[in-house]
Amino acid sequence: MGSARPLIALKNVSRAYDDGAVVALRGVDVAIDEGEFAVITGPSGSGKSSLVHIMAGFDRPTGGTVFWDGSPVKNLRAWTDLRRTKIGVVFQEFLLLPTLSALENVELAMVGTGLSTAQRRGRAKDLLDHVGLSARLGHLPHALSGGERQRVAIARSISNRPRLLLSDEPTGNLDSESAAQVIELLLAIRKETKMAFVLVTHDEEIAALGERRIRIKDGLIVEDEAPKARAVR
Amino acid sequence: MTLLTLAYRNLLRRPARTTLLVFSIAIAFATALSLLALSRGIETTTHEGAEERGADLTVSQVDASDVFSGVVPESHAAKIAAMPGVRGVSGEILMFTPIDDERQILTVGMAENSYFWGAMPIADGRKPEKDERWVVLLGQGAAQALGKGVGDTLTMFDQEMKIVGVTGYRAPINRGAIVARLQDVQELAFKHDVVTLIHVAIDPSLTLAQAEALGAEIERLGRVSASPTEQLFSRDRNVAVLRAISQVTSFIALTMAGLSVLNVLLMAVQERVRETGIMMAIGWSDRRIIATIILEGVITGALGSLLGIPLGFLACGFFEYLPTIGAYLDITPPLDAILISVAGALALSALGSLYPAWRAVSHTPADALRRA
Repeated sequence: MGSARPLIALKNVSRAYDDGAVVALRGVDVAIDEGEFAVITGPSGSGKSSLVHIMAGFDRPTGGTVFWDGSPVKNLRAWTDLRRTKIGVVFQEFLLLPTLSALENVELAMVGTGLSTAQRRGRAKDLLDHVGLSARLGHLPHALSGGERQRVAIARSISNRPRLLLSDEPTGNLDSESAAQVIELLLAIRKETKMAFVLVTHDEEIAALGERRIRIKDGLIVEDEAPKARAVR
Repeated sequence: MTLLTLAYRNLLRRPARTTLLVFSIAIAFATALSLLALSRGIETTTHEGAEERGADLTVSQVDASDVFSGVVPESHAAKIAAMPGVRGVSGEILMFTPIDDERQILTVGMAENSYFWGAMPIADGRKPEKDERWVVLLGQGAAQALGKGVGDTLTMFDQEMKIVGVTGYRAPINRGAIVARLQDVQELAFKHDVVTLIHVAIDPSLTLAQAEALGAEIERLGRVSASPTEQLFSRDRNVAVLRAISQVTSFIALTMAGLSVLNVLLMAVQERVRETGIMMAIGWSDRRIIATIILEGVITGALGSLLGIPLGFLACGFFEYLPTIGAYLDITPPLDAILISVAGALALSALGSLYPAWRAVSHTPADALRRA
């Protein structure tokens, strides 16, 4: 947490489920700066995913406030706008629509952004080419390997040139070789775009790549290592 | 990648279900279209029949509940004939009569001095001679239905009648009717000195205002109304009831189609909760997701309508084989009935999609993504 006006900041954020019977987050304060690379780690059920879901606006906190660029994010519509234009997401389960080809899945994220159909298609092709899938444009997700699917998801997540990329266990469903390729790709993209990058993982090796490590346990941040001037790998 | 592509792909995921839905819409559409065509057919057929015979105004008992039940003094025909601007009159009894104790056929009892006799086309045989009694002419449709021709006889109210001719009318209502002498029908139906209607041919040089003035003059005879012949059935209670039943049944059929859309899309949306979550996760607004689902409903409505049009024509063709109506009515769906049915099917399909669409966006992205 460095600058006075971080890109995204969570202030005293709590999240409880089942009328308070299950508490996932307990008054968490965390802020991510522009261009920062933070890794969130913690054991299963510690609240990592809840934290990322709240950062992405997938879920509403039961207490506290989320600020984007210094202003509180007031409603679901504002979150939708942020996800369309400023926040990209990559998840463990790839989250591709099964009826759409790789190309169409990437295009899907650009619908409603003001780009023409041709512009959307052109950018989607470029992105898939960039992630090494130019030969797989017309393939449906079920015809792609896990690593390929995740690369489609990564291409989709950056299609609208976001300022923040949230990634929840992006290698969780991949073999070690594909996992290494995906991490390499994410880091390369981050290096090119300078976007802020929040990566959730319980893989220590991957966690070590981050510039800042946030450790969460039982819904509380138990360790927030100050940003280090690490070289971006 | 457009909304249309996505909606189309979603529908193709369950081809059997989508096909069944399209068929159910098509059947509802065809029902609505054929019923609308049926009610409209009565008006158009009456109009065509009157036009073919050359009637401009029809005089009937004021506020008679239906065309067949009105009673007008026969003597009015002469009074109307004497009015300036009147080219001809035809006092008629119009009724369904029992033929050969088998079926009821529309029968027109026409006065001897009716101007219709002069222009009546004859396909076979001849017209009745002066003062000739108990003779009839059959329309070609009636002749075909009865399997009779010139020289044969038929019984009407137990009275044997000789068939002396077959008319060459082309309008379905005229083709399906039997033409008899007014005097004979009056006697058989115990309706002496009265007629059901008086048709009036007016001088073509009359202006609209003059024609309206003539109508008003006729109405001053008392307890009669004079209206353009094509509007003959516009106040008919039976036709009004049929029209209402047709409209209500059409509406019910299309509503059932709308409910089918609702049911199928609701299932589809529940199956795709996680995918809806994906769309939310990548920044699709609720409005855009709703639009996609409504588009799915509208596509099925459009496909159902497309298939329903030929089915509707097929149903109308079937109506023509029903002896009670097929002999008299030309039941062809008019363009406006097709357009009304298409609009109804699309609107109700869209309406049926609203609830599933609302359900689809009722989850938070996190809830939706948690679904297996």
